[in-house]
Amino acid sequence: MSQMLKTDQPIDKSEVMAREIKQSKELFRILFYRSPVGTYIIQNGHFQLVNRQLAYILGYEEDELIGKPSLSFVLAEDRDAVRENAIRMLKGGCSLGYEFRVVNKQAKIKWVMETVVPIHYRKKRATLGSLIDVTERKQMEERLKQITAELQHSNTELEQFAYVISHDLQEPLRMVSSYTQLLAKRYSAKLDNDADEFITYAVDGTKRMQSLLQDLLEYSRVGTRGKPFGLVNCERIVEQAMANLKIAIEECGASVSYDVLPTIMGDEGQLVRLFQNLIGNAIKFRQEEAPQVHISAKRMNNIITFSVKDNGIGIDPEHSQSIFEIFRRLHTREEYPGTGMGLAICKKIVERHGGHISVQSQPGQGSTFYFSVNTAGGEPA
Amino acid sequence: MNSQTAERPIEILIVDDNPGDVRLTAEALKDSKVQNRLHTAQDGMEAIAFLRRKGEYAHAPLPDLILLDLNMPRMNGSQLLAKVKEDSELKHIPVVILTGSREIDDIIKANNLHADCYVTKPIDLEQFNRAVKAIIRFLVNHRKTTNGGKVIGR
Repeated sequence: MSQMLKTDQPIDKSEVMAREIKQSKELFRILFYRSPVGTYIIQNGHFQLVNRQLAYILGYEEDELIGKPSLSFVLAEDRDAVRENAIRMLKGGCSLGYEFRVVNKQAKIKWVMETVVPIHYRKKRATLGSLIDVTERKQMEERLKQITAELQHSNTELEQFAYVISHDLQEPLRMVSSYTQLLAKRYSAKLDNDADEFITYAVDGTKRMQSLLQDLLEYSRVGTRGKPFGLVNCERIVEQAMANLKIAIEECGASVSYDVLPTIMGDEGQLVRLFQNLIGNAIKFRQEEAPQVHISAKRMNNIITFSVKDNGIGIDPEHSQSIFEIFRRLHTREEYPGTGMGLAICKKIVERHGGHISVQSQPGQGSTFYFSVNTAGGEPA
Repeated sequence: MNSQTAERPIEILIVDDNPGDVRLTAEALKDSKVQNRLHTAQDGMEAIAFLRRKGEYAHAPLPDLILLDLNMPRMNGSQLLAKVKEDSELKHIPVVILTGSREIDDIIKANNLHADCYVTKPIDLEQFNRAVKAIIRFLVNHRKTTNGGKVIGR
């Protein structure tokens, strides 16, 4: 290399410098003026240098902005916050992605996101800023927020609606049911066989409607009448659920066992109901042999997954989603009584505890229900 | 049971705005074979007038038992219960809450207001009859323990 230099023409240093300066000016022009991000330097609160994109966002020509106080383009309500953010930036060295509103030349409000860093410009302290227009994203966020709020509202209303109808319909139903039974009691001997049969069906119908209403009421209560979360010992919960199922467990000689179970944050009453429904199902949908139910729990980070395993009749995987829907039944009432609400209630309780419920099963092979609870998250708002 | 109450029929005040429920209770009482006289008030205001023998109730007997529904217009069951239990003339009368509500909050509230018993109206007629009979048994026992089996009179 050094030998080659000797043989070459002498280099004109000033020419090289001039070329480098030209290149660097060109680079600056591209990087600064043609940047797709609004870029600017502010000194003593006034724009010293602005690029085309900033001017475009604000709706002005570049030279209309130079020398103007930068805060004058910020929406009046946001000015204090922007000023405070600038002070924080000067102390902390940098401010990333701060969002506020500006008013453009056409008096339209735009959402922008600004990043600023402190610099020295012409030997004085200054601020280098970059800014992008996030109006569209903000509008989408607002819309999303609005839709979420509307959905929450309509969900609450639906729950309230279900609660009110299931509660208030019970009274007139009780009248229909009681008086039909009174008719049967007083007059069954005085009427013919047809009448007796009709009365039986009427009474049966009212009783079925009563259980539907009661389960619907319980379902709607999970959301509307839940208790605040507290520390709950799951072994005690399972014991309580078993005590509630004592007669059913004894009648079929079922054995229910459980591993060491954790203490979690939750609604005690609802968790008892959850285990009671799952253990109850395991016993109800049994095969010839005595039911065996085993409960265990696994922790992974903040999520605890419980499993309730049985040796019952099992479920076709085709139904593994739909069984959690309300009033969903896979059997006739003659085969297995019930309203088809139990697992829907389970799902609602699990979701209120920040988890999911699922089942793994094959017909004739028993079922394992899994449900998770989130121990980190408190009660959902 | 009859020997305990032979002196005179049991005076029962039922406070309920639903005539269907009043009739059902009357029928169940008929079945219980206990001599009784059933008086009806449609809400708390009427019940208070009855208990304090105001206006048309000037000659009303003081009941041996109050059967009280919770959900009623004007003055509801809880309000009436509070009034009865803070009235020195009335507070000895056993009050049985007989209601369609299974709300735990209602049960706790009734207990705090010193209701003597809380019974939810069962959907099944036989259960309802049994509940009414249980209430009568409760009353008979209550009289035995508080008054040596004699009728509580004025």
